[in-house]
Amino acid sequence: MTNIVVLVKQVPDTYSERKLTETDHTLDRESADAVLDEINERAVEEALKIKEAGEGEVTVLCVGPDRATDAIRKALSMGADKAVHVSDEALHGSDLVATSRVIAAAIGKLDSVDLVIAGNEASDGRGGAVPAVVAELLGLPQLTHAHHLAVEGSTVKVDRETADEGITHLEANLPALVSVTEKINEPRYPSFKGIMAAKKKPVETYTVADLGIDAGEVGLTNAWSAVQSASPKPPRQAGERVEDDGEGGTKIAEYLVGQKLV
Amino acid sequence: MSTTMTFTEPEERTALRKAVFDLGSSFGHDYYLAQARNGGHTDELWDAAGRLGYLGVAVPEQYGGGGGGIGDLSAVCEEFCAAGTPMLLMVVSPAICATVLSRFGTEEQRDHWLPGFATGQVRMAFAITEPDAGSNAHNITTTARRDGDGWVLNGQKVFISGVDEADAVLVVGRTTDARTGNLKPALYIVPTDSPGLEAKPIEMDLTSADKQFSLFFDDVRLPGNALVGSEDAAIAQLFAGLNPERIMGASFSLGIARLALDRATEYAKVRKIWDTPIGAHQGIAHPLAEIKVEIELAKLMTQKAAALYDSGDDMGAGEAANMAKYAAAEAAVRAVDQAVQTHGGNGLASEYGLGAMIAAARVGRIAPVSREMVLNFVAQHSLGLPKSY
Repeated sequence: MTNIVVLVKQVPDTYSERKLTETDHTLDRESADAVLDEINERAVEEALKIKEAGEGEVTVLCVGPDRATDAIRKALSMGADKAVHVSDEALHGSDLVATSRVIAAAIGKLDSVDLVIAGNEASDGRGGAVPAVVAELLGLPQLTHAHHLAVEGSTVKVDRETADEGITHLEANLPALVSVTEKINEPRYPSFKGIMAAKKKPVETYTVADLGIDAGEVGLTNAWSAVQSASPKPPRQAGERVEDDGEGGTKIAEYLVGQKLV
Repeated sequence: MSTTMTFTEPEERTALRKAVFDLGSSFGHDYYLAQARNGGHTDELWDAAGRLGYLGVAVPEQYGGGGGGIGDLSAVCEEFCAAGTPMLLMVVSPAICATVLSRFGTEEQRDHWLPGFATGQVRMAFAITEPDAGSNAHNITTTARRDGDGWVLNGQKVFISGVDEADAVLVVGRTTDARTGNLKPALYIVPTDSPGLEAKPIEMDLTSADKQFSLFFDDVRLPGNALVGSEDAAIAQLFAGLNPERIMGASFSLGIARLALDRATEYAKVRKIWDTPIGAHQGIAHPLAEIKVEIELAKLMTQKAAALYDSGDDMGAGEAANMAKYAAAEAAVRAVDQAVQTHGGNGLASEYGLGAMIAAARVGRIAPVSREMVLNFVAQHSLGLPKSY
């Protein structure tokens, strides 16, 4: 029986225009459709595969505002068994260190966790450090950037792939934390039965106080970093058109060399 | 009793729509067009949708289905169309055939067929239209006569969808009433490999992955259990199947309309001729805004029809289903036309796929029942005007 916790996050849909608020430069959650981050769908899929191959229970854990229940419901509709939702006004604008503390404390509330699975990086914050920080806080071995994951008895094996270092093969004793990359799998679509069952699955909600964390340790005013200013992406410039009069290939090569792209 | 009326779908319906749209989009309109243009089908998508229970949402849970209603099934149909992957057999196989068998089939028939409908592994075509009996079901001449314990079927059907993909066809025929000697309607399940059944493809100027067929029944021998339910329930059976067909027809049109409107608005946002995107010009913007209104109105009526049907109000659902089918077809025809206009020359370039949608949208005005027959229904039943035929 493997007890798996999957960290999930609700993010603005990458297909919509994403903005920061003008007042405090935190994420403008109203401006875009909110979805379960795709990398988390892969994390959930991986957990479900482990569960289906043997036995186990999959708990999804989400830190986010009340409307993040939609993202939680999506994970439950895919087949996760239950959820933990940490929702507190005080968390608004928390940095990744504070967020990781909250996650670690919430995991601490659960009985006998064998494996924590996270996405390697959320598509909004892009910090990519939460899995490692959570592992440090919990004293778990961290096996990050996994494109392959296998649980064998009381050990977990991971193929770790990064752009700089190639592939490394990692192994650790459970309990452990694994973060997955987008190459790990193709997430399933929720079945109709999964969708209908999702609403009946238990979701436990916590405030930061419930987790024994002081509101003064989290939130925007206590963050170690702050966004000073933000400006929208400049509009795309018109490209350079190359007419092919027999010399098109040469001209394109010259252009690429001029841009130091080749 | 609560007096509050809600006009939003339950969370689960919204989640179902999203999941179906995502699955359809992972295949996409280009996949659909490629299959249709090369004479292929959309089996991979059908099977995936079946495994996820999307095709069996309305089949009772005891047979492995989702236990939902036509409201759920029509949402699935609409979302696949809106994602650019319409599946015409959804209108007949799970909507008409599974509904008729679920409500009127014998226990043996339900046990045999419904688990397959729940997973999409069974596909059943539906045959009512005849060359000389288009919308007039009283002129149906396909006739079954008793032959020992079984039946012998003779006759002809036309414009039957997806016969080459189907395991069986649900055939509306007639049989002799033992008491009066008159012919009365009766429904038969006819396996597509039955000796004496010939299916001839009809050449259509439609870009569709589901083909049309003429069917010829030449002394097709059927076992006694081919008759659906009891011999005397056929009229009720037909009504049970035809309302879902109209609701599904409306949803099919709604999905096409949404796809066309999405394509048009996306294009109008980015296409610049002078300094501003063409969508800023009222000549482009207002027709698209009007179409948005028409789609929402038609969708609301479709949801009403489905809700009435699912609540067991067959008669009330009839009027709403007819109106929804009419409104959705009109919205789709207009949406596709305006999408083509918004795209200019690109609107008819194969790459954009809108030209193929012109004929597809046009089907909604003709099938499953013509616009004129819907208007006849409204004139007579809703307005009480005299009948002309």
